[in-house]
Amino acid sequence: MWTEILRRFAWLRRQSQFDHELDDELQFHVESRAAELEKTGITPVQALAQARRELGPAAGIREDTRAAWQFRRTEDLARDLGYAARAFRRNPVFALTAVTCLALGIGANTTMFSILAEALLSRPSVHDPKAMLHLEIGGSSHSPMRAYRFVREAGIFAGLAGENEEQESNWRHGDTVDRLFVVRVTGNFFAVTGIPVAMGRPLQPGESDTVVISYRFWRHRLQSDPNAIGRKLVLDGGVFTVAGILPPDHRTVTGFGFAPDLYMPVTREETIVALYARMPEGMTPQIARERLKAVCDAFDKTYPDGNHHWAKGIRVAAIAGIERLTGEEMLSSVAAFAGVLMAVVGLVLLIACANVASLLLARASSRSHELAVRLAIGAGRGRIIRQLLAESLLLALLGATAGLALNLALMWLLGRVALPLPIPIRLVIQPDWRLLLYSAVLAVGCTLAAGLVPAIRATRAAIGATLQREEHQVGRSQWTLRNALVAGQLVVSIVLLSAGYLFLRNMVNASAMSPGFDLQHTVWASMRLVPEQYPQSAKIAALRGAALERLRTLPGVEAASVMRVMPLNGNITNGTDVTTDLAARPIHVQFHTNYVASDYFRAMGIPILHGREFLPSDRAGAPKVAVVNENLARRLYGDVNPIGHTIRSDFGLLQIVGVANNSRYFTLGEEGELAFYAPYEQSGKGAVNLEFVVRAAGSPESVLSAVQGALGALDRTAALEVKPLRNGLAFALLPSRVGAILLGAAGLLGLVLASIGLYGVLLYAVSRRTREIGLRVALGASPVGILRLVLRQSLAILTVGLAIGIALSIFAVRPLAMFLSPAVRPSDPWNFFVVAAVLCVVGLAATISPAVRAIRVDPVVALRHE
Amino acid sequence: MGLRTVPELLPGTLYMLILRTLAAGPLHGYAIAKRVKQTSREGLAIEDGSLYPALNRMLVKGWLKAEWGISENNRKARFYRLTAQGRKRLETEAAEFDRMVRAIQLVMRTA
Repeated sequence: MWTEILRRFAWLRRQSQFDHELDDELQFHVESRAAELEKTGITPVQALAQARRELGPAAGIREDTRAAWQFRRTEDLARDLGYAARAFRRNPVFALTAVTCLALGIGANTTMFSILAEALLSRPSVHDPKAMLHLEIGGSSHSPMRAYRFVREAGIFAGLAGENEEQESNWRHGDTVDRLFVVRVTGNFFAVTGIPVAMGRPLQPGESDTVVISYRFWRHRLQSDPNAIGRKLVLDGGVFTVAGILPPDHRTVTGFGFAPDLYMPVTREETIVALYARMPEGMTPQIARERLKAVCDAFDKTYPDGNHHWAKGIRVAAIAGIERLTGEEMLSSVAAFAGVLMAVVGLVLLIACANVASLLLARASSRSHELAVRLAIGAGRGRIIRQLLAESLLLALLGATAGLALNLALMWLLGRVALPLPIPIRLVIQPDWRLLLYSAVLAVGCTLAAGLVPAIRATRAAIGATLQREEHQVGRSQWTLRNALVAGQLVVSIVLLSAGYLFLRNMVNASAMSPGFDLQHTVWASMRLVPEQYPQSAKIAALRGAALERLRTLPGVEAASVMRVMPLNGNITNGTDVTTDLAARPIHVQFHTNYVASDYFRAMGIPILHGREFLPSDRAGAPKVAVVNENLARRLYGDVNPIGHTIRSDFGLLQIVGVANNSRYFTLGEEGELAFYAPYEQSGKGAVNLEFVVRAAGSPESVLSAVQGALGALDRTAALEVKPLRNGLAFALLPSRVGAILLGAAGLLGLVLASIGLYGVLLYAVSRRTREIGLRVALGASPVGILRLVLRQSLAILTVGLAIGIALSIFAVRPLAMFLSPAVRPSDPWNFFVVAAVLCVVGLAATISPAVRAIRVDPVVALRHE
Repeated sequence: MGLRTVPELLPGTLYMLILRTLAAGPLHGYAIAKRVKQTSREGLAIEDGSLYPALNRMLVKGWLKAEWGISENNRKARFYRLTAQGRKRLETEAAEFDRMVRAIQLVMRTA
């Protein structure tokens, strides 16, 4: 097989020599035969002639013989592509329009594909990721160090390492302290995973004061310091030495684009770690699971832990690719979101293909004369279809190339934008074989979708229509395939636009939406303490008290408080049975929980409807109290005023002292959420992350530096971030912004493509009816009459497209309600009215130029034209 | 070419006939055609137009090798020679053909 191909290639190199040799050979054949014939007594001339006749036509033999060596299809394809390229050069507007359409469609698709593939399917930068497993024991994603060591020492794996990716550290440099995102790893982590470093060396077992920093940290925080290796960093008050720098394309084992600042060794026994194992040769995940189970059984026997069994809830999962996702609970929602995005960009590509198909149709029908001639002189229909397909293949290839370039440009831009997320997410997007494969598939798909029908139609028409230029008799604006294509494009763009418009409204709405607390006067100060310096929660409590005292006495400050999580930026949800003193049976409720200090409601500007808010006297040891929001009060007590009543739940026995106004807790779009507040000082153990809210008399900016100074003076090792609370809402606004931008852009792109399509169809219709229009003008038709002629066709297409599109949209946008705030109702007729109006305007704009051209038709010229 | 006086070749037997003819030693194209005609006592003839395409297809497949040599009448001619692959091919084709002929004969005699 291969040697055969090699022989064919060898032949390609010496074609002309081969032709000569074949001629010599045939000549020899003829002469040998003639010599023999001469013996029968005929003249040499006659003999030669007869020998030639017997051999048959030399040209045919030469052709057949050559065909034995040729890569027939490939050569034809190359010739067709060359022919198509020449044709495009003669008609650059056509080629440019088609390539632009495809480039936009393919660019949008490959970009979305790149993002999703990187976010969901990327491979961590570990050596041989297929041999690595993520282990879960006891039903939890992270295990105590004791369990980690027990499993590691059982020796069932080629290596077992642990890491905790949810760590933070305070980095003090000069006078500032920044909070860094840190992965704590066991000493063997780099050895087991084989994660490479770009400079220096990885962390070694037994080290406790070295770090490996990310490329981004080195570039931007250490200003690309050439002597970074060996540099000392003050982290959480301790001194650490930079051992190594990660490469720019480092991807964590956690995946999903998580981009920590640095890796540090695990130094505290209380750290819990996620387990990553490298399987020895020949081990499968099933075997790994069985052995792990046995080890955990032994662990449970060695260290009995009440009702908790580590041998239960054992899971082994791949760390890369699809297999990793199948284990994730969030899979269904992620898949749904990914599906929506791919569907949207898929629709854009569909519009682009429809455009190209319509362009090709126009081109094919204007070439029907040429095609008919070629068919008449004996070209095979298959051959002509292949050649027309070669044109669309060339278009698709050019479009895919331009689309890929667009994709790279967009990705480059995207890599520069930091998403407003609470954790650092950076997608390391590089072009890879998957992207190339995907765009190749898209290109071939486009070719077939956009090229096959026009090609088949063109050749069929050519056979039927013959050479008589029958097309000139094509009468009034009939409903052709091209019209249908444009109407289809309009339909799809209406659906996209309706969705995009909804998200746009949602964005506007969300930006103007009140979260239920004050954004005009509030400052958010986020403070992270170094855990090592606060071994007892009493010390944290003392600091909290001192901090609040200082904040409250600052000039221009009206109130200050501290809370466990800042609404819309963090969330604690509890689902539990609550028994009230008025009900016999417990009520199961799901609510948002927050632990807040005195003055919280005043500082946040959340009105208290009944009772009181928390006071400094609601301290640890005092009677336990709670504030609920209006929704929860109604749920538990109906119309009864709950003040003074008690509830019993997982939180113990609590007396309700206040009812707060409903506000937003996790998302801006939520509605009817239940919320429960307990005093910070009664919440048990203290957290090292403190969220302060400060209410200023004037603008929040006026007290920023005072707040910064007051809190900074309390603990020089603490990381501090102070900003107006309204700046902290970026995360909450993200979904509607992303939705608005993506769908809006897709809708707009679709609209542009559809109007190009409409414009093309009308222009084409006018140019084909030039003769008819000229005749009408010659017979006295007024410009208005001619205008009506063109407008009628345009309106017919617009109306059909609009009617179907709106009807479809009404159903298509309904499921979007779950992504939108309640104020934006997908069924609102106003949406469709706006979209329809926009589309009509664009559609009529696309009609202007063809209409003008029709009016300007000069009857003399038009009638002489053939 | 005038009236055809010899039966057309059975389809698929052209390669086999060429291979068999070349088994005795290298020959040029014209000699192959002549040899087939002679050994079949004029019962078979390779259509001249199909000989060279067939030879070239066999070159591509690697059953034959071609080299230039001097013919019996002292002229430069292209000689075709069987390769090891071609020899193997000849064996399988001949065996298959034998089996088929025997089977056809069985049917023709008994049925």
